Amino acid sequence: MSDRLRNLPAKVYAGAAAVLVLLALPFYLDRFWLQAGLFAMAAALGAVGINLLTGATGQLSMGHAFFLAVGAYGYCALAGDGADGLAGLGLPGWLAAVLAVALAGVAGGLFSPIAGRLHGAYLGIATLALIFIGQHVLFNAHDLTGGYNGRAVPPLSLFGLTFDDTELLVAQIPFGAVEKLWYLGLALLLGGVLFARGVLRGRPGRAMNAIRDHRIAAGVLGIPVARHRAAVFVLSSMYAGLAGVLLALVFQRTVPEYFGMALSLEYLAMIVIGGLGSVAGAVAGGVFVSLLPQLLNRYSDALPLVSAPGTGGIAPGEAARYLYGAAVVAVVLFLPGGLVRLAARKSTEPSGEAR
Amino acid sequence: MNLGRPAVRGLTAALTALIALTAASGCSSKAKTDDGKRTGAGGVRTGEGVTDTTITVGALTDMTGVYATLGKSVTQAQQLYVKQVNASGGICGRQLELAVRDHGYDPQKALAAYTELEPKVAGYAQFIGSPFVAAVKPRVDTMDRAVILPQAWSASLLGSPSIRTIGATYDVETINAVDFLVTEKGLKAGDRLGHVYFEGDYGENALKGAKFAAGKAGLTVVEQKIKPTDNDMSAQVAALKQAGVKAVVISAGPRQAASLVGVAAATGLRVPVVGNNSAFAPQLLGTQAGPALRSMYWFASPSLPIGADTPAARKLAADYRAAHPKEGLDNGVVAGWTAASVFGEALKKACAAKDLTRDGIGKALLTLKDHDAGFGIEHDFTDPKAPSSRESVIIQPDPAVPGGMRAVRQPFVSEAARAYTP
Amino acid sequence: MSTFAEFLINGVSLGSIYALIALGFVVIFRATEVVNFAHASLLLAGGYVTAVLHDNLGFWFALLAGVAGAALVGAAVEFLVMRRHRGGDHSVLAIVTIGVDILLATELTRRIGTDILALGDPWGDGVVTFGPVTVAQTRIAALLAAALLITAFLLAFRYTSWGVAMRAAAENQETAALMGIRLGRVSLGAWAVAGALAAVAALFLTVFPTPGLERGTALAALKAFPAAILGGLDSTTGALVGGLLVGVTESLATGYQSDLAFLGRGIGDLAPYLVMVVVLLIRPAGLLGTKELARV
Repeated sequence: MSDRLRNLPAKVYAGAAAVLVLLALPFYLDRFWLQAGLFAMAAALGAVGINLLTGATGQLSMGHAFFLAVGAYGYCALAGDGADGLAGLGLPGWLAAVLAVALAGVAGGLFSPIAGRLHGAYLGIATLALIFIGQHVLFNAHDLTGGYNGRAVPPLSLFGLTFDDTELLVAQIPFGAVEKLWYLGLALLLGGVLFARGVLRGRPGRAMNAIRDHRIAAGVLGIPVARHRAAVFVLSSMYAGLAGVLLALVFQRTVPEYFGMALSLEYLAMIVIGGLGSVAGAVAGGVFVSLLPQLLNRYSDALPLVSAPGTGGIAPGEAARYLYGAAVVAVVLFLPGGLVRLAARKSTEPSGEAR
Repeated sequence: MNLGRPAVRGLTAALTALIALTAASGCSSKAKTDDGKRTGAGGVRTGEGVTDTTITVGALTDMTGVYATLGKSVTQAQQLYVKQVNASGGICGRQLELAVRDHGYDPQKALAAYTELEPKVAGYAQFIGSPFVAAVKPRVDTMDRAVILPQAWSASLLGSPSIRTIGATYDVETINAVDFLVTEKGLKAGDRLGHVYFEGDYGENALKGAKFAAGKAGLTVVEQKIKPTDNDMSAQVAALKQAGVKAVVISAGPRQAASLVGVAAATGLRVPVVGNNSAFAPQLLGTQAGPALRSMYWFASPSLPIGADTPAARKLAADYRAAHPKEGLDNGVVAGWTAASVFGEALKKACAAKDLTRDGIGKALLTLKDHDAGFGIEHDFTDPKAPSSRESVIIQPDPAVPGGMRAVRQPFVSEAARAYTP
Repeated sequence: MSTFAEFLINGVSLGSIYALIALGFVVIFRATEVVNFAHASLLLAGGYVTAVLHDNLGFWFALLAGVAGAALVGAAVEFLVMRRHRGGDHSVLAIVTIGVDILLATELTRRIGTDILALGDPWGDGVVTFGPVTVAQTRIAALLAAALLITAFLLAFRYTSWGVAMRAAAENQETAALMGIRLGRVSLGAWAVAGALAAVAALFLTVFPTPGLERGTALAALKAFPAAILGGLDSTTGALVGGLLVGVTESLATGYQSDLAFLGRGIGDLAPYLVMVVVLLIRPAGLLGTKELARV
């Protein structure tokens, strides 16, 4: 304990430095990088959510993409003013965002009769149904979702600041949508991470781990297993909803194709690569999986083995899939605990950053 | 992290430096200094993507996702166009450069690729995936203003001054296809017309056209909606057969068309089937459904097929064969070539007006009135709200012709299509 | 009425193909308690080998090679990946199969590219007519092959020592190991059998009415997930029942979509999942699955 206290200043400095670098980035990076970073933040938020469910409680969910869709479309429907002929309540942006997250939670709650009773593989496949139902609704409920081409996302306004492309000059740097959203994304991610840590370190977290490790024993100890499972499912859905809102704001349009099974699989890959059950791992995995294809695509001409599109050979998109497929397998076989464990192992001295 | 004293001191130093840097962000390359427009070689005003020696054109394609077949052909045809233009001296004394990004039909990658290329290109000669085009539309219309020529023929993309579809949209094309059934295949008022269509804007746009045409000709439409993952049309054929349809329109992919025609032929539903231009690929002639496709399948296309008997088509077919001996010759080649040539033509006009900025290219495109890429259709880009042409060609699969396609009805606009407003 | 019969027969034959896929799925689950999300890739691998070899070997030998190839891929996955992480959390193992699936599927789709590969089957586009009902020959063949394979499999499961070992392993892994059953061999066998069954299913999924093997073929294997869950993940008979249920539901929902238009068109693909959700609400372990007794 005393060891920890002595280390505190160094940790605080390191953390502060990281935060400052993150805060300064919009002044230097161009739109591509900021957008990639925002995708990574949204992915990290979603991954934190599914990690609570799959990593900490042992409940496999393939339906995460559905709840992202609920968040994204929920925000559009609540904040939209109906000018484009689609259903819209015209609520203020911040309220719409909060309600959209709540809506994702409600959707998770509606599924709880199933989520509470099933576990492991059964739940995994049952949640697949959500993906297919979600896709069907997204494509068919035109008035609500805009169908195949999706719907435009109304920009968010907060304290008089509108997160859209109207330029705002800050220290001679023009701030467009991504620059402003960058700070919003950072704040949301920080909040999300701290909250998840709080949950995991407190009583609920211990109960969740007990359910994962030994369901029956947990029940005998007096943990209401079904209720906990359902509650974690709702919480994880709300994280997905929040990630969905952030993604929608970055995309400026909801695209129904996006919320398919491949996205759910990506989220599972993220938490395995990052480290099951760990919040830092989820963030690391989310950043890794969402940045990898974009980086490979951008630098395809400079990389060995990867060829530019149209020249034959392995395309960057395929290379990214090989890499992260292999990463999932390799991490589970050779690095149980994921990237965070690697970071912990690398530092020569014992570290408090593993979680 | 257990950091020692020196590390802490290092960090403090780094932090101080960082704060200083932020304060001095005016030195950042992002600082707003000018509008990026210059006057370059030859007295031509230039903007993003144009230097004194090169003009960079973007191509956002799908070579690893669901539209891989289309994306590959379009991209290779455009690369061929760029190569030939450069060999003959380029445009405006500058060499063309095609910056290709493969998004694999993934929205995140598509948006990332668009954003990455945006500061580097003069415009986009290719953009596959209409939802993604719709996603960037607000940005394009208000800020970026780069000309985009999407490879999607949905009417929902009409109306933007910068995003211009080439050729008849799916609704217009379907109206022309129904006209072909009525005038040449004996479909008459009171008959039932089956329509098998994809969910999504392709199918639904086509359905709008089919309903309009059916209303004009006194037909009843029997709808069957399918998903792109459905490959077996047995149930649809059985349902259409029971409904007693006299002809079928299919607005889906090549595989669905092959299955539909094959099953219809085998189960005795011998009626003419007409598809949209996306509902055929030459590879189909080698499948079980090949014979049936030859005898009872036609499809409408916004241009003459690659195997047409025009000088431009013959040259393109020969050049493409020489460049890609193993690849099939399909409609994507024509579509890609046409789009690239439209872009090239706009660049030439912009050069003549000494304005190669994005606005200059956009204005030049608006004056392009009778562009013919050599495939029998004249494109008119003066009205952003209308498709560049309402003409369609009816094509029949024929393995004897290069590309497996033969035009059986030359470019035409049906009465109904002329009267139609999207 | 004849249309209904046609829908029904189509549904049953489609369902028997799904049953083949679901059966392989269940076999792996019983032997190792792992949900195999890489099943779609095994299917694609089997189909691909058959499609590539039929020109040189002729159809029947190519099919045999495809079955052997898919079995080999399945066994290789078990031996190289799954075995290295035995005893772990089954959810984690399920996610590993997702990684394997991404790898295999990327490689296979890259090889297939934009082609539509024919499998060179002897049935072509022939049809059989019973009065007013027309059914494709390939569908009859599928029905017969599936019936034959499933019967053979159920018998083997009951009467061969491999089947007994597998049932013992499914009952209680630890006890089975103590009784001298080599769990490694059991699970290796399960993966190989699953691959072989998937290869046969691949054949019938890609012959007439469908144009051929292409990159999207593997998506059809997704229908086997609800089939396996519906019947009960640990029940082999359940896989059969679930497969048929999914096939018939899909066929009828597609055929009568005009009458179901209020649900939105194109309901056919969704119907199996809706049925699955309803079944799970009533019976969380599936229709024929073993109910968990340890309830608290």
